[in-house]
Amino acid sequence: MQLIIEAIGFGIATGAVIALGAVGFSVQFGISNILNITYGALMTLSAYIGLVLINHGINAWAALAISAVAVGAVSVIYHRILLAPLVRRGTRAIAMIIVTVSAGTILQYVIVAIAGPSSQSYGEQSGQTFHFLDLTLSFGQVTIIVLTAILMLALHLLLTRTTLGKAMRATSSNRTLARSCGIATSRISDIAWFISGCLCGAAGVALAITTVSFDFSLGALFLIPMIAAAVLGGIGQPYGAMLGGMIIGISSEVAAAVSNPNYKDVVAFVILIIVLLVRPRGLFGAAWSSRRLMEG
Amino acid sequence: MSSADVQKPFLALAIRGITAGYGGPPIVTNLDMDVAKGKVVAVVGPNGAGKSTLLKAILGIARVESGRVELNGTDVTGLPLEKLARLGIGYVPQVDDVFDGLRVRENLDMGGYLFNKHQRAERMERALTVFPQLRPRLNRYVETLSGGERKMTAIARVLMLDPSVLVLDEPTAGLSPELSKAVLETQVRALGDLGKAVLLVEQKAVAALGISDWAYMLVRGEVVMSADAKEVLAKPDMREIFLGATAPNEVTADRAP
Repeated sequence: MQLIIEAIGFGIATGAVIALGAVGFSVQFGISNILNITYGALMTLSAYIGLVLINHGINAWAALAISAVAVGAVSVIYHRILLAPLVRRGTRAIAMIIVTVSAGTILQYVIVAIAGPSSQSYGEQSGQTFHFLDLTLSFGQVTIIVLTAILMLALHLLLTRTTLGKAMRATSSNRTLARSCGIATSRISDIAWFISGCLCGAAGVALAITTVSFDFSLGALFLIPMIAAAVLGGIGQPYGAMLGGMIIGISSEVAAAVSNPNYKDVVAFVILIIVLLVRPRGLFGAAWSSRRLMEG
Repeated sequence: MSSADVQKPFLALAIRGITAGYGGPPIVTNLDMDVAKGKVVAVVGPNGAGKSTLLKAILGIARVESGRVELNGTDVTGLPLEKLARLGIGYVPQVDDVFDGLRVRENLDMGGYLFNKHQRAERMERALTVFPQLRPRLNRYVETLSGGERKMTAIARVLMLDPSVLVLDEPTAGLSPELSKAVLETQVRALGDLGKAVLLVEQKAVAALGISDWAYMLVRGEVVMSADAKEVLAKPDMREIFLGATAPNEVTADRAP
């Protein structure tokens, strides 16, 4: 029993990182209808930017913030220069996926070329641990859980309380109709790619903080459970991705604890497939569905 | 009496020799149309006549190869949709006319996106006076509404923009006959009476003519008739032409992207 409770604690921490990444991934898909596989490599890029900053004596949490903003900016440029023009030329969704896979692979090997293939580590953060009920979590894990909760709440308030957030949802729901209301949808897209890029960057550094060591494959490996979380929640649905992240995180850690750690991902995918069999659009899929017209 | 004679003094939307399509052969050729302030102008015609393409050409979505679109005397040909919204053209598409995933209130907010909070609140009050049925449904997500309520939301949303010209693409599509009648007679007609210039594309020709001031008949991308809507309805042979022309065996070039 104690083992399971500990696994749940770990699962919440893992789930928080997955949720951070999955929400950003989902926002990008929602606004642009692009399944951006480069996202994984951008997380890796963020982890390495964080590494450089930490090696220069910058605090890990400050490094997380700086890397997040940097990857946010890179995401906007990437979307503007490569992805948006391809969409405007009528590139099909499947070809867009291949483009993002290719760009991600290129970026990953650029990182290897610069930083080398060996494992890296942010080093020991703080030995401090927190005890809550029967859960024991490190300072880093607790900070990431709190940070994720704050960022998700901020995103929720942005999307539901502000005109900008509503315009993002409107653009995601129906781009042509949004334009007919006078919404400059390409500017809204830029903002959405910046915000989701920041979440991607934050997730990259958070992941590096919570793992003992990492290398250039950090983001690529993490991409699969993250996409699973996004799909589980209903792709394009930020709230679904939050919940999906938690479900995947907790179930995979509990599965690893009660059986063989090798089954960690398997259990997450079994849950994903069962959920999709019951609800093909994912947990939140019905609420935000709409035929999307891609006219730039 | 021509359309220009009737409408000239308050011309809001003028279409001059428009030829437009999607890069291939033009779908509509050399169209001329006038829509005056306070008038409802119906564009009727069979499937594939180019009605939707005409609207898309006006809205900067289809490619205009020649001709001009003038809004209150200014050339707006080919301007992007978001610019046209700023200049006062409101658009209600045939399908996907509301923001799914947003509440009714949020849909209206988006209609008033170009205005500040205070103006938006004021306009929302005005829109809710026109559609009091929406008031108790403001916090509902639009996908939980009935077809008629969704259409009301769509029209209320476009009213938030307070446009001088309204472009309505088959506002009765998918609605029951009773509801279609109500939408046309009470809502679309009311828009004209509010002083808007309304360009109405409708498949239901007789119903559309019943509430319109002027009618254009489009067949295979060309205007084959331009006449007072009431006169068209009054003449049995003309009704014959209209009903005859809506035979389902017409080409469907309008399905182009």
